[in-house]
Amino acid sequence: MIRRLLVVVLALTLSVAAAGKGAAVKKSQPVKTHPIKKAPLHLYKDTSNIQVRHFDQNAINRFKKDPKFNYNDSEGAGEPSFLEKLWMWILYILFGWMKNAHFNGTWLGVLLTLLKYLIYAAALAFLVFVIVKAFGIDPINLLRGNSKRIDIPYSEAIEDINAIDFDDELEKALAQNNYRLAVRLLYLRSLKQLSDLQLIHWQIDKTNSTYVNELADPSQKQVFSLITRQFEYVWYGNFSIDKDAFVNISRLFQDFKQQLP
Amino acid sequence: MEEGMFEQRTDLSRLSSAVEQIKTSLAQIIVGQQESIDLLIAGILADGHILIEGVPGVAKTLTAKLLARSIDVQYSRIQFTPDLMPSDILGTPVFNPKVTEFEFKRGPIFGNIILIDEINRAPAKTQSALFEVMEERQVTIDGNTYKMAEPFMVLATQNPVEHEGTYRLPEAQLDRFLFKVEIKYPSLDDEIAIITRQHQHKTTDQLQEIKPILSGQDIIALRKQVLGLHVEDKLIVYIARLINESRNNKSLYLGGSPRASLAIVQAAKAMAAIRGRDFVTPDDIVYVAAPVLRHRIMLTPDKEMEGVSPDDVVMQMIQKIEVPR
Repeated sequence: MIRRLLVVVLALTLSVAAAGKGAAVKKSQPVKTHPIKKAPLHLYKDTSNIQVRHFDQNAINRFKKDPKFNYNDSEGAGEPSFLEKLWMWILYILFGWMKNAHFNGTWLGVLLTLLKYLIYAAALAFLVFVIVKAFGIDPINLLRGNSKRIDIPYSEAIEDINAIDFDDELEKALAQNNYRLAVRLLYLRSLKQLSDLQLIHWQIDKTNSTYVNELADPSQKQVFSLITRQFEYVWYGNFSIDKDAFVNISRLFQDFKQQLP
Repeated sequence: MEEGMFEQRTDLSRLSSAVEQIKTSLAQIIVGQQESIDLLIAGILADGHILIEGVPGVAKTLTAKLLARSIDVQYSRIQFTPDLMPSDILGTPVFNPKVTEFEFKRGPIFGNIILIDEINRAPAKTQSALFEVMEERQVTIDGNTYKMAEPFMVLATQNPVEHEGTYRLPEAQLDRFLFKVEIKYPSLDDEIAIITRQHQHKTTDQLQEIKPILSGQDIIALRKQVLGLHVEDKLIVYIARLINESRNNKSLYLGGSPRASLAIVQAAKAMAAIRGRDFVTPDDIVYVAAPVLRHRIMLTPDKEMEGVSPDDVVMQMIQKIEVPR
């Protein structure tokens, strides 16, 4: 029984091996699927009328010029435009170290294309910004929709104390019995005197008390504090002032002037 | 002779006397903080709410309590916590079985001087309960409106927003505070005085030493006086220019509101009254500008990162505007 079994196994092994060998041989030989026809003994001459057709040269030239049919990026693209040259230069600056690499069809290529258009957009925006600025329009406000800032009308704006002719203005104010304005002019003249003597540092944002505190001399400080108070009552307090009151106040200003070096 | 050249059009003697008494009274317990106390008194006279900010332990709550005690009105205190509900502040309808009807049970907000301690420890939902009452002086619940008694004033304390467990107050609420008073650390001399005074103190309850100086009716009368003080047109333009500058300033994300303009006018009037004048000067406006604006303006993120403070920006704004003279 065992002997029979061994014979069967041996036979199977041999047959499989033989089949494998046969398959290998088959692979190396050409497969003949059709019977080979023998060539005719006589060649027949084709005497039919052949009509030769030629390509339309104009069409060829037209297609050659059409960039859609230009499948070769490196050849026949013509002279690059200024923008292309600019882009190539930027690419060279940025990625010159990897100039032999090819990015077409890769994610890096898509990124570079995107970058190219971003740079174009930025350049265009800059150009628009320059033009808008040249016309005196604030582009930020234009984008925000804010109206242009309007200066509040200021009927009694600060005058440059160095540009006022105090004697002339005082004369005019007194001629009109405008004692309130006259006190203001006297005070501004005092500030100019202090500024000229560099006892105070004149600035538009400083309040009267700041100037009082800037004075180092106690006696000057005391008198200036007093005339400041009179000025504030008249100018900010809107207290009415007649000729007699003005004479009293102007005397204080004269006293102060005498104290100055 | 020169001092009395002009007589005040408004008799401010009662006001000046009350201010001096309050200052003297507070000075018995509070060391230093003169500017803060001036602003607190100005806030009372200007009919405004005040936010007091400072790190823990600088006597924010004590100052507010002492100020409230110096006025003889109904005082209540609310400690803000993260779980506080709007009804805990305003009140709530409660069913009365005897009359089989809902009755409104008034919350602690119904008083004259309300001390809200640690206001920024409650979330925005709770803060919103204060919007109506702070601006309109009334509470509306279930379609019924309840008016606040006069005088009505909210004194709130808070830790700086960077501190643990605090929320930033909504802009709408911040705008309702007349001043934000910042209480800084005391100077070395003041610190020594605080320790010495506390060390030598015999009684434990310092609040008992403060006696009421003004009644509610006095406050109402003084506020009317302050309201009537003179402000020159040129100074109104000056204030408008200042606020306008805050809206165009590049360092600011949010500028001052028209309510801020009105607050400066009112606060400057109160400051002028405290200084014994019945008219406003640019000094009054400059003095109150920072306390009025510092909590209303919002810095741009880049300025915040640079460490610029709202007070710095207010000073820059002032430097740009010409003082009318």
